Amino acid sequence: MKKFDKDRLLLGVAGPGLALVVAFLLTSVVLLVSDRDPIEPYRLMLETAEFTDVQVNILNQAGTYYLAALAVAVGFRMNLFNIGVDGQYRLAVMLAAVVGASVELPGPLHILLIVIVAMLVGALWAGVAGILKTTRGVSEVVSTIMLNAIATSLIAWMILPANLGEQLPGSNDLTTGEIAESGWFPGLAMEGGTIYGFTFVAFALGVVYWFALNRTRFGFDLRATGASESAAQASGVDSKKMILTAMLISGAVAGLVGMPLLLGQTHTYSLSFPAGVGFTGITIALLGRNNPIGIFFAALLISFIEKTSADLDQFGYEKEIATIMQGLIVISVVVSYELVRQYGLRRQQQKVGEELAAQARRNKEEVAL
Amino acid sequence: MHALVGENGAGKSTLMKILYGMQKPDEGTITIDGTQVGFHSPADAIAAGIGMVHQHFMLADNLTVLENVVLGGEKLYGIGARARDKIREISDAYGLNIRPDVLLEQLGVADRQRVEILKVLYRGARTLILDEPTAVLVPQEVDALFDNLRELKAEGLTVIFISHKLGEVLSVADEITVIRRGTTVGTADPRTTTPKQLAELMVGSELPSPETRESTVTDVPMLDVDGLRLTATDPDGVVREVLDGITLTIHKGEVMGIAGVEGNGQTELIEALMGMRDPDGGVITLDGTDISHTPTRKRREDGIGYIPEDRHRHGLLLESPLWENRILGHVTERPNSRKGLLDLKAARKDTERIVREYDVRTPGIEVTAASLSGGNQQKLIVGREMSHAPKLLIAAHPTRGVDVGAQAQIWDQIREARREGLAVLLISADLDELIGLSDTLRVMYRGRLVADADPATITPEELGSAMTGAATGHLEHNQNGEGR
Repeated sequence: MKKFDKDRLLLGVAGPGLALVVAFLLTSVVLLVSDRDPIEPYRLMLETAEFTDVQVNILNQAGTYYLAALAVAVGFRMNLFNIGVDGQYRLAVMLAAVVGASVELPGPLHILLIVIVAMLVGALWAGVAGILKTTRGVSEVVSTIMLNAIATSLIAWMILPANLGEQLPGSNDLTTGEIAESGWFPGLAMEGGTIYGFTFVAFALGVVYWFALNRTRFGFDLRATGASESAAQASGVDSKKMILTAMLISGAVAGLVGMPLLLGQTHTYSLSFPAGVGFTGITIALLGRNNPIGIFFAALLISFIEKTSADLDQFGYEKEIATIMQGLIVISVVVSYELVRQYGLRRQQQKVGEELAAQARRNKEEVAL
Repeated sequence: MHALVGENGAGKSTLMKILYGMQKPDEGTITIDGTQVGFHSPADAIAAGIGMVHQHFMLADNLTVLENVVLGGEKLYGIGARARDKIREISDAYGLNIRPDVLLEQLGVADRQRVEILKVLYRGARTLILDEPTAVLVPQEVDALFDNLRELKAEGLTVIFISHKLGEVLSVADEITVIRRGTTVGTADPRTTTPKQLAELMVGSELPSPETRESTVTDVPMLDVDGLRLTATDPDGVVREVLDGITLTIHKGEVMGIAGVEGNGQTELIEALMGMRDPDGGVITLDGTDISHTPTRKRREDGIGYIPEDRHRHGLLLESPLWENRILGHVTERPNSRKGLLDLKAARKDTERIVREYDVRTPGIEVTAASLSGGNQQKLIVGREMSHAPKLLIAAHPTRGVDVGAQAQIWDQIREARREGLAVLLISADLDELIGLSDTLRVMYRGRLVADADPATITPEELGSAMTGAATGHLEHNQNGEGR
């Protein structure tokens, strides 16, 4: 039986491997076509990665992405496409920052309050899409995209000084006020900078994700629904309840996406908070095959590309190469996974057929003897 | 007319796929009319004059017959009058009796099948492959189909015919090829072969019979359905009654068979009993408890076992390993889980037991369900459902697409459980199975139970006429052979 397991692992690695090779080759083609050196940018990026401050940046960014990808992956595991992670995260981090700045509590409680508010807001925002889907049959893809836009406008309005925000003297930026020091999450000071404490929480959440999906009844129901909704329903899963629950969980995790940055560095929400993290999360969840370990490496890779490409401009290469690379990764991932999946299925069917035939022959021989 | 018979997983479908260009052979040759051919896609096969009528019809309900036929073949005769004339011509030539301008949704199963055959002929096929064409037909329709096929044969066409029903094969084929485990094990001449011999050739064992020996019916009701009503809304917004006034009682140790042409409400009845659809009226009582609106999971925990009609859609997670499929539907029960947590070790161990006891032929429990043959998938499902000591088993076509050997095994298991007091609701298109296995028989037509019969005396033909709505009430066997 071990053989089949090894096969599965091999096929599991083959998908992303193939995708990455193809993506990098295609990027080189793009570079060649635009009269650039097709290899040099990679070398420059690897060189940049040798600086310890860049390394810390990569890790911190990976933590944020890891959370975003987990949020997406929870939905993916049951065929829900939560495109709204981005809106959920921004709305959540903003309101959490507002609440965090308005109270002062003993350390751990203060942090806990901020985190819980963020999760609730994220879940609530995703829950809107969940309710729309279960009661009115609205596709979650459409509603979450719309909710992203609504979240953007809502944040822009709420952060006005007349409402919840404040404008610092001598700055155009609007913020939500600084959170008291009791609400700062301690980090790990390194040579090149500080690794946000919440980054470790993010990776720990991967373990929780794995356990909940693979070792609990709830996780089984969720995976069954993703594998075959009709079969899951016949097996007794209430699909509407499942959709809503999955959406709420996905939103709650999305709410955490802004926590490493908020609790570890900025301590306030401002207009300069990064947007688009949720979309990168989709790429990473795809690349990591919704697997917590896969997502970890995918998050590292994507933040590596992002952080090390920033300096390419200085050497005469456009840093947009990184964006092209990411886009190509997504395309090749989708194609190569489907190819590998079909190949794997066919191969296994063949193997089972062969083994059964061999078994039958053995039986026959025994009878003959 | 050549018939191909063999156990499930024997390689019939694979052979047909190769003939139709869907798979490529590793070795060997295909020769048509003396020329050796190699197909890379179904298009090549069609060009060489091979046509396939699939078991599951590939037709669009909201198009007319004409539109369905020309779809994908627009270049042949256009899409207008010329195509219509051609369809009429083919229909007349082979006695198919098809009107080109009828909407497909108005046609019954047998008519649809004729449309499929016409579709293939329209594309110029000289060799027809029919994959289990009789599985969905009542006996009278089967006879009509065979008349059509004889007509085709008389016109010089070749028909390859795949079937599990040995009686039919013998009555219609000119030559029979039996395959087992991927190789031809013999050819038989239908004039000199008996069904028994043919079956023995197929499995190397004796032909099983679905007959139940002694009655085990008790007077303790297990499932009681009273006035069950279910409505469905059409895409056009019309509310239709799919089930109306269904009243039945199944006792402990009783097998109740429901006969009926597919699409007359059997699927809906099962879904209402399983809790996948909420009834609009009526009461369902299981073992004294009202379960009319209980969720599916609770019903399963309370002892309803379910062998679904479509095992791929409702019974299995095809891309998951066998042990996960063993958990499916019973995730809240032991040995699969304890207090919300899965018990993978126990589930795996129990899967191995099922594989052993129910003779599921697989190299192990880590392979995906998709890699097993249909019969072995079904054995796994039966094993799973029986492992939770059900009070009521809902078995929809439990032996459809299952080979003779597995069929006998499944019948044995149902019989054995029935002896121990299991109540069974059996829905099947195989009338021999229904008559042989049931203690009581009901006939379903247009969402109602219109007739009942005594399985000890009724014949498939008599049952068939009630299935088409021609007879109602209590069916008496008529010694003169004229079913009422």
